[in-house]
Amino acid sequence: MAWPTDITAMEKGRVLEVAFDDGAVIRLTAERLRVESPSAEVQGHSPSQKKIVTGKENVAIVAIEPVGNYAIKIVFDDGHDTGLYSWDYLRKLAS
Amino acid sequence: MVSRDDVMAALASIPGPDGRASLPDSGALSGVTIRDGKVFVAIAIDPTRAKAMEPMRAEAEAAVRAIPGVAGAVVTLTAEAARAVAGASPGHAHAGHAHESKAPPPVRHGRPSEPLPGVKHIIAVASGKGGVGKSTVACNLAVGLAKLGLAVGVLDADLFGPSMPKLFGLHSKPGLAPDGKRLIPLESVGVKVMSIGFLIDEGAPVVWRGPMVVSALNQLLREVVWGELDVLVVDMPPGTGDTQLTMAQNVPLAGAVIVSTPQDLALIDARRGIAMFNQVKVPLLGVVENMSYFVCPHCGGRTDIFSHGGARKEAEKLGVPFLGEVPLDIAIRANSDEGRPVIASMPDSAQAEALLQIARRVADTLATGATGAKPAPRIRIL
Repeated sequence: MAWPTDITAMEKGRVLEVAFDDGAVIRLTAERLRVESPSAEVQGHSPSQKKIVTGKENVAIVAIEPVGNYAIKIVFDDGHDTGLYSWDYLRKLAS
Repeated sequence: MVSRDDVMAALASIPGPDGRASLPDSGALSGVTIRDGKVFVAIAIDPTRAKAMEPMRAEAEAAVRAIPGVAGAVVTLTAEAARAVAGASPGHAHAGHAHESKAPPPVRHGRPSEPLPGVKHIIAVASGKGGVGKSTVACNLAVGLAKLGLAVGVLDADLFGPSMPKLFGLHSKPGLAPDGKRLIPLESVGVKVMSIGFLIDEGAPVVWRGPMVVSALNQLLREVVWGELDVLVVDMPPGTGDTQLTMAQNVPLAGAVIVSTPQDLALIDARRGIAMFNQVKVPLLGVVENMSYFVCPHCGGRTDIFSHGGARKEAEKLGVPFLGEVPLDIAIRANSDEGRPVIASMPDSAQAEALLQIARRVADTLATGATGAKPAPRIRIL
């Protein structure tokens, strides 16, 4: 399983770049990360509860905190901070 | 409205942590948040220089507060990014090494995933199934590691069924540190021990929902004066629930030891435990087969009460190291009930040797880095 070596928020928090140890470098917009947040606030507890998040074109990342060995918590400037993005999930979003 | 650019402009005249590049150019700004005219700024620093960085913090706070339209400003120092940088430097071979910094974090006590200051490795002893001797193995593993010369602590994370007070023969109340907040762990056979069992009467039940468990665990983990430890052994409760998730999320675990009996019924749950640790990317230090066989004290005949070799086979199948077999044995049971870990009370016995062997393997693995352990990624906000 690919492991991230560098996680960088750039362009004033609008883009997250993740470099993996297999050489892959993925770029995800803050908007994409925000609307696809793995948080139960967005995903609900089943696919039918999934909320469509809109109006986040200008959302930016303000902080990133490591979660154990497996994920990061991303804090957005709209106050959303309950999504834990695992390495696998980040990779999946980019594919 | 105050904008991010206003904040950056105000900070541009202040030298960053290295004293040369300005704060916005230094890369040390790990977060700027503006809400209702209030500005929050986080500056990532080397935690060992927290005191020296205080004037910079105060200066930055004053500069932000002076921006017209700013209702309030809070500038904090954080060790977050500095730690991530250290994790990527040579000589820091795996995720568990991210917590080697000796100084306490400067601000914001008890944040998620913040390593424990002074504690080099945190390892979990887990089983999946209850009643397989996990706590007894955890206790003796800790004593064994201490015997090998390591500074060791034990955190009893089984809040509903704390076993460490009994296993270590500790029954007093922990004292308060001079700061009046943190608890001083009790000590037995060279191991520092903290358990909720010290704080409640024996026999009193802990009847809590998940959120209480999470907050109590964080307190037992962080509001305790552990001092400098090479290894903190965490005795997990059975299962794959709140406690396991809290531990996996709130600290970088250097690895997990899975305890199982050889019988299929226990192995099924051991497999679940292994799968859980894989999911949260906690490397597995290995599997212990407890109650591996029984040698009759009367006739010397051997009986495999719970079958034999199942845990070893399972470990091989899953590609996880096998750490050793511990017999089902009356001396281990009796000494455990009397609060005298068998490694310490019967150091020359075969039982102690079996347990010490496991401790040696764990110590070796921690020294070289567990299989599959990877360094924490470097996190930056440009």
